[in-house]
Amino acid sequence: MIIKLAWKNIWRNKKRSLIIIFSALFGIWGGILTNGVSVGMWETTVKAAINREYAHIQIHHPAFKDEKLITQFISDYDEVEKILHGNSSIKSFSKRTVIEGMASSPTSVGGVKIIAIEPEKEKQVTSIHQKLIDGVYFSSNENEILIGQKLADRLKLKLNSKVVLSFQGLDYNLVASAFRVVGIFKTESKIFDETNVFIKRNDLTSILGETAPIHEFAIRVNSVELIDTTTGILKSQLKNLKVESWKELAPELSLTSEFLYLELNIFMGIILFALLFGISNTMLMSVFERIREFGVLMAIGMKRIRLFTLIILESVFLLFSGGLAGTLLGYLSIEILSKKGINLSIVEEGLAAYGMSAILYPTLPFHMYVSLFLMMMLTAIVASISPAMKAIRLKPAEAIRTYM
Amino acid sequence: MSLIKIIDLNKIYDSNKILVHALKDINLEIEKGEFTAIVGPSGSGKTTLLNMIGGLDTPTSGKVFINDIDISNLKADELIEFRLHHIGFVFQSFNLIPVLTAKENVEFIMLLQGVSKEEREKRTIELLNAVGLGDKINSRPYELSGGQQQRVAVARAIASHPSFVLADEPTANLDSKAAEGLLDIMENLNKTLGMTFIFATHDNKVIKRVRRVITLEDGKIKSDIIQN
Repeated sequence: MIIKLAWKNIWRNKKRSLIIIFSALFGIWGGILTNGVSVGMWETTVKAAINREYAHIQIHHPAFKDEKLITQFISDYDEVEKILHGNSSIKSFSKRTVIEGMASSPTSVGGVKIIAIEPEKEKQVTSIHQKLIDGVYFSSNENEILIGQKLADRLKLKLNSKVVLSFQGLDYNLVASAFRVVGIFKTESKIFDETNVFIKRNDLTSILGETAPIHEFAIRVNSVELIDTTTGILKSQLKNLKVESWKELAPELSLTSEFLYLELNIFMGIILFALLFGISNTMLMSVFERIREFGVLMAIGMKRIRLFTLIILESVFLLFSGGLAGTLLGYLSIEILSKKGINLSIVEEGLAAYGMSAILYPTLPFHMYVSLFLMMMLTAIVASISPAMKAIRLKPAEAIRTYM
Repeated sequence: MSLIKIIDLNKIYDSNKILVHALKDINLEIEKGEFTAIVGPSGSGKTTLLNMIGGLDTPTSGKVFINDIDISNLKADELIEFRLHHIGFVFQSFNLIPVLTAKENVEFIMLLQGVSKEEREKRTIELLNAVGLGDKINSRPYELSGGQQQRVAVARAIASHPSFVLADEPTANLDSKAAEGLLDIMENLNKTLGMTFIFATHDNKVIKRVRRVITLEDGKIKSDIIQN
């Protein structure tokens, strides 16, 4: 009956309770939606980076990441392939030759990362083939190149234009070769589009006169939950090589995720802190209006702990009536928007500078709802402590004589 | 053994550093089954005395024994528990919880006592029938007249099987007819169940009905008369 009484009590002053309930509803709804957009923005960025270049895990020569020399290749790549084939968590992988070089057109020149790939295998690891805005994803002809739109603009290149790639060969002599542009891609990142070109490994082998060295294995696992364990297993199996997950390859994105959830919890905390004052004020008014009634309740035998619980419950019901409705609305809004997406193409240029997609898919992990629930509970309890203490400190004889 | 025994009871209030001697050396015994009124002019100390008997306030000196238990030494929570099981209360007004029905108001006190649901329901219906409100069990207090509300309060007061009922000006806000009706019920409960009633009042309708009248003046017992 205490629960029933608490529920009925919050409806004594409907207008006052509804103000708090709607404040909680809109506050929580807005907070969840904002959090969903933030998490969605971050997740979209991470997914785009994984699909574009990192894959889930990469393997390199231990010194390659720092020095990026053509000679720092993975010599026993057959052994690596065998290990990767033997791991059931691995969905697919691609071997890459990665060379720092120059791309020259008749009008301009620019530094690029030349990524020599096996086109069909690369398709299973990254999504560059889906990002073409012009041309095709390679054909059977020799010396074909895919370039980013930003590089195409800078070097004034278009489809079928010729571009000369020059780089240091395995013998440290300068190697140069002409390529024909067969495809122009546009990813979420302007920087990537300006600094990366894709060629076929077979063509590079022909140019070098020997098998193109393998600098990089890009690996995709069956599900994101397997990334950390698979990375750990590969690290133990390939002690002479550097095995890194996307979190190690792009620490700035990983760090963002850690701060993001902290920041979002603080944001929700601020909303709830504002609500706390409203609830506390409402509960205080409610207690002051019922001093005589509390006196009667204590006189007839209601223990102070029960009275305390009653007021805490009223506060919890008050916040949760609006808070849960706001959470439900927030959840539904995120569900709908996560399928439809939010089109931000109006600010696409700005987002591309940060490697962000113009279509945003809001999402909010379950643990954020759990932490929101706990924060709401804490807010309701904290907001009611002062009014509840006032109520239980009343002396029945004095309270009964109080006229409101 | 007296139901209530008061020995050398004094109560001094500190009202803005002015000491008010509300009760002075009160000695009193009340037996089980009495139908008694404490009367006197405003400020005579009748409500203060009622509060002392009811454990709602603590004496400055002296003792209050109920069923041989010295309640003046009980702590706040022990007093609440004692009141729950030993004392029924009917106040002047605003007695009932406005959001609960008549049935729920009566049931509430038994719920606090931990009485089973079946027994609560049975006793609630019996009591509301006994006070003539069998047809109003689902009515909220605002749907009842003042007299009906006080009758629900009486039903609630005796629902907990108390040793006695304290009624502080129970008829003050009622018209004559409602007041007589309420007193009929209380008198009947006293006669049939032997329920002890102690009133603090200056209503003549109550004074005429009771069998013992204790008159207070300036915090002292001026007279203690048994009426025929």
